[in-house]
Amino acid sequence: MRGLHVYILLAVAAVALACVDQLNSYWMHVAIIAMFYGILAASWSLLAGYAGLFSLGHMAFASVGGYTSALLVKWYGIPIPLGMAAGIAMCCLLGGVVGWVCLRMSGPYLAIFTLGFAEIIRITFSTEDDVTAGMAGLHTEPLFHTVSRLPYFYTSFALLAASLAIMGWIVRSRWGLFLRAIREDEQAAAASGIAVARFRILVFAIASGFAGLAGVFYAHYIPILTPSLGGLDLMAVLVVMTVIGGMERLPTAVGGAFAVEFLLELLREYGQWRLPIFGVILLVTMRFARNGLLTPIWLRFVRLGEPRSAAPPVARDAGQEDSRA
Amino acid sequence: MSGGVELVRAAGLSKHFGGIFANDAVEFTVEEGDLIGLIGPNGSGKTTLINMLTGHLMPDGGEVILRGRRVSGRPAHFFAAMGVARTFQLTQLFGRMTVLENMLVPGLTRPHSHWHAVEKRARDYLEFLNLAQVASLNAKNLSGGQQRLLELGRCLMLDPAVLFLDEPFAGVHPQLRDELLKRIQELHQSGRTFVVVDHDMESILRISRRLVVMARGRKIADGPPDAVRTDQAVLAAYAGL
Amino acid sequence: MMSWDYLFIQSANGAVIGVIYALIAVGVTLIFSILKIVNFAHGDLYMLGGYCAYYVITLFGVPPLAAMFVSMMALFVLAIILERTLLTPLYSDATERKDEYGLIVTFGLAFFLRNMAIIVFGPFPLKPPSFVPGVVRIGNLIVTNDRLFAGVVGIALILALLYFMQRTIWGQALDAVSQSRESAAIVGINTQRFNSFAFGVGAALAAAAGALIAPIFSLAPDMGVLPNIQAYVIVILGGMGSVVGSILAGVVLGETESLFTAFLPDATRALAYTNAFGVLVLMAVLIFRPTGLFGRRHLRME
Repeated sequence: MRGLHVYILLAVAAVALACVDQLNSYWMHVAIIAMFYGILAASWSLLAGYAGLFSLGHMAFASVGGYTSALLVKWYGIPIPLGMAAGIAMCCLLGGVVGWVCLRMSGPYLAIFTLGFAEIIRITFSTEDDVTAGMAGLHTEPLFHTVSRLPYFYTSFALLAASLAIMGWIVRSRWGLFLRAIREDEQAAAASGIAVARFRILVFAIASGFAGLAGVFYAHYIPILTPSLGGLDLMAVLVVMTVIGGMERLPTAVGGAFAVEFLLELLREYGQWRLPIFGVILLVTMRFARNGLLTPIWLRFVRLGEPRSAAPPVARDAGQEDSRA
Repeated sequence: MSGGVELVRAAGLSKHFGGIFANDAVEFTVEEGDLIGLIGPNGSGKTTLINMLTGHLMPDGGEVILRGRRVSGRPAHFFAAMGVARTFQLTQLFGRMTVLENMLVPGLTRPHSHWHAVEKRARDYLEFLNLAQVASLNAKNLSGGQQRLLELGRCLMLDPAVLFLDEPFAGVHPQLRDELLKRIQELHQSGRTFVVVDHDMESILRISRRLVVMARGRKIADGPPDAVRTDQAVLAAYAGL
Repeated sequence: MMSWDYLFIQSANGAVIGVIYALIAVGVTLIFSILKIVNFAHGDLYMLGGYCAYYVITLFGVPPLAAMFVSMMALFVLAIILERTLLTPLYSDATERKDEYGLIVTFGLAFFLRNMAIIVFGPFPLKPPSFVPGVVRIGNLIVTNDRLFAGVVGIALILALLYFMQRTIWGQALDAVSQSRESAAIVGINTQRFNSFAFGVGAALAAAAGALIAPIFSLAPDMGVLPNIQAYVIVILGGMGSVVGSILAGVVLGETESLFTAFLPDATRALAYTNAFGVLVLMAVLIFRPTGLFGRRHLRME
């Protein structure tokens, strides 16, 4: 039957939710962090994979969101959800501004600019430590005052599901087509009637908003917030996760985040070696399977239950592979 | 020439690149129902003119006027929304999107458009262009000629009043070229206006009702093909190559 | 009131830093002009060059200046290997979005090199012995010999590179390819081999910079992160593709950073914001001139 893969995913999710209290606190934490990265990977995929805007400032937005929320809650005592909303709004706004500023920049220049942006944020948060507590770390209000991490699990799960629902809807709509068209050929997109500037700004605002969402959750989950959240190291990990999974689709991006996060934990005994190993996996993926390692699996999965002879609907790569590097 | 509605007008359009005038005060009107062949030696500024008339280039002097409205400086998508469609010298398609998706994109930019209706229109046009069987292929996997037809299809999805075709016959083998010519004529008969730029004189002469000749950034002739072909200035321009 | 002596020292330091920046930036420029990619791993090649010199000195007792040349050669070879294994898809028509490919691959390479360095070399700073121990006294001022040495050798290398590009056949070919790939191919230059060569030369220059700076500021696995960003500042200021522009901009940036530090009253803030200064300049330039100040306009690869 059509859409079998959706039912399978829903079933897996239901089972996960039902059995989660079997997990010990450690693995629950890993799962929560995986979902945190899932939101980041999906939103970065929207920006870089769909619209083609290779931004290295994504984690910086998570950082901005987190600090905004944490500081507002700390200084003005506002309820955490309000702080979180403010953090997200700040990121949307700032993201839109960055998107506007970057309108005339292409590929590498955009990457360099957003890298610069991320560095400025990190340096500022680090240096102005009378406000942000700098590298010593800002103590944040937790979202739940429970011993168990279970509420955080359910929250991050809900946030991830909601994020994917929204982003998935965008991607399957005409705006998804428009974003991909902008990535393919901006000039032809404009000639086809797409208001390219407007879309670039909007996608930056939306993607940054989701990064902010991840950031505000993180800020009120992890008890201490440091400027390294927005730093190059974590951004690099995000790129590794998303590209290894497959940066051009939401499910593969999230899958990459989950896979890398769980592997990082499973391979914890290898200590420092984990990161170079994933670096090599990234390089090999780019060289030989540029679409991402999970993409073929996902494409197969999506076809499950479909009769052989059915012509695929307006689907991407129907019957063919994207060209490889 | 036909006294019809004026669709697009170049009013003294100029563009210079580093001291050279790619277009020098060009005056040019496209009326509804025209089928204009825009010709001239290489470097005469034809593509620059098209770029300005379709919103891809800002003029340095003069105005672009669409249906009586001054529109210079508006972005390209605005022109597309106003019914001005164009193809590019080197086909610019959305390579890794399917043929059908390529057709859907321009259709879906129209206000109040519904996906189902747009998809139906797209499939109808694909039938018309003989591309229905490749609808699910990625655009980059099409042959050169099919790609040109797809570009034409994309223009049609905008429901354009006027189509600017930039060298549609370049590098196209004769059989496909004839097919293209036939399609253009059929579309013209059903009420679309065309401005076609090309060096393939045979094709241009077959379909054009009016020839506009450019040389060195200036318009040097504008009229029925027979008159233009014997115009002294035109002969001189081509001979001076 | 600031003393002239202090200003002079800062200027001298700034000049030396500027020369080092110039060496790094020229490599980035060459690689961008010829391979048409921004090399995100350049800072890590600089880092490796420094470490290579260190180990050559401490393990084999090679004198420091010779160690620098060994390091340059080693990085030259390494760069060619990396280019052959990772970057060849850039030359194939089957590869799409080459910009993005170059970005991600060099970014991934940087990630790999940085984290490998932590494992192999350890996370703690290392300091190789001085090139020329001791200091020089000019009146009341003290300038370490190493800084002088770094400045002089750096300038010598830059002049050598310029001479090479103007006067030798390989160098002129490098210059030609950097300006126009197509014409170079027509003339018969094997552009593929030149890509390897260019990548190697860029890496060798970065290695020299790393080796020269090591006795002054010591080595750490992440020492390449900031210079990488400074390199982009410089290259975009001086223009992607202009070797001379990069050199000039490198020296200007080095000077400006040093003087900036000198004039800012709050010392700790000054240090932190010095780095940000370059980034702000970078961002400002990109906003107003997305192709750099003097750069040629070949932004797109294809």
